[in-house]
Amino acid sequence: MSSPDDQLNRLFRAASGHPGEEIAAPAFGLETRVLAAWRSSRSASASVWDTAVLVRGLALAGLIMALSILPALNEKSVNSDTENLQLADSSVQTDWSP
Amino acid sequence: MDRIEMTAEEAAACVDRAQKGDEKAVLDLFHYMYPHVAKLVYANRPAREGLEDLIQQSCIKIVTNLHKYSGRAPFLHWVSRVTVNTCLNQMRREKARPEVRLADLSEDEAGVIEALAVSPSAVDTSDQVAASELVEKLLASLRPADRLLMRLMYLEGRNVEEIAALTGWSRAVVKVRAFRTRGLLRKRYQLLMKETP
Repeated sequence: MSSPDDQLNRLFRAASGHPGEEIAAPAFGLETRVLAAWRSSRSASASVWDTAVLVRGLALAGLIMALSILPALNEKSVNSDTENLQLADSSVQTDWSP
Repeated sequence: MDRIEMTAEEAAACVDRAQKGDEKAVLDLFHYMYPHVAKLVYANRPAREGLEDLIQQSCIKIVTNLHKYSGRAPFLHWVSRVTVNTCLNQMRREKARPEVRLADLSEDEAGVIEALAVSPSAVDTSDQVAASELVEKLLASLRPADRLLMRLMYLEGRNVEEIAALTGWSRAVVKVRAFRTRGLLRKRYQLLMKETP
């Protein structure tokens, strides 16, 4: 009697020789359903792209706004020092005036 | 529309057109890959899943993920991987039958076991259907992933590299799993041999 392994091998060989089921033509409407799924996935990916563009646009606009505010902030800080000096100067002048 | 034949280069060009939004290219790809997908689903389908549902699921998964196909491997390899993984995901819900007993077999199937034990030659071609059904019953006693592995390895004759590429498992996992599952099948088969008069 041959070993169980050998018997299993011969069994698998016999089973793999069996032609199996005939592959049928695509089911009615399958082509349409697949195409519809592809179209909807494309439109979904297009809307995702739109969102990405919008987010990038908003980020860029924010950056430009921040950059445009910076000089104004600098100017304000310089101005406040100048104002303090002018105030001190005027008060000194007032004290010494007859 | 009938089946479409393409070379690997033609398929790659067709995928490129489909990725750019050409609807005709998607239809051509569908008819090109359909027989391949159907064959894989027929061979690896879960017991209770409808064939058409699984073929549709696989085809839709492929066309909606076309943008993820990089073109590094031939298109049909990628199609096979997506299809096998779709089958595997469905099979995970199934439970294995605990064992196969002689009482579960038909006369022809029991006859195949006797013939294998008595004669060292190959199984007669007239017994191929019974042999195929016997193998299906033995495989049904395995866990779904192991069943898929045994089918790919022994019925479709794929090697370790091919199975690793199809399933996404590492080569070591494929080897260890195949060794362990083969041992389990041997035990189940020996149990049937003992019961055979």
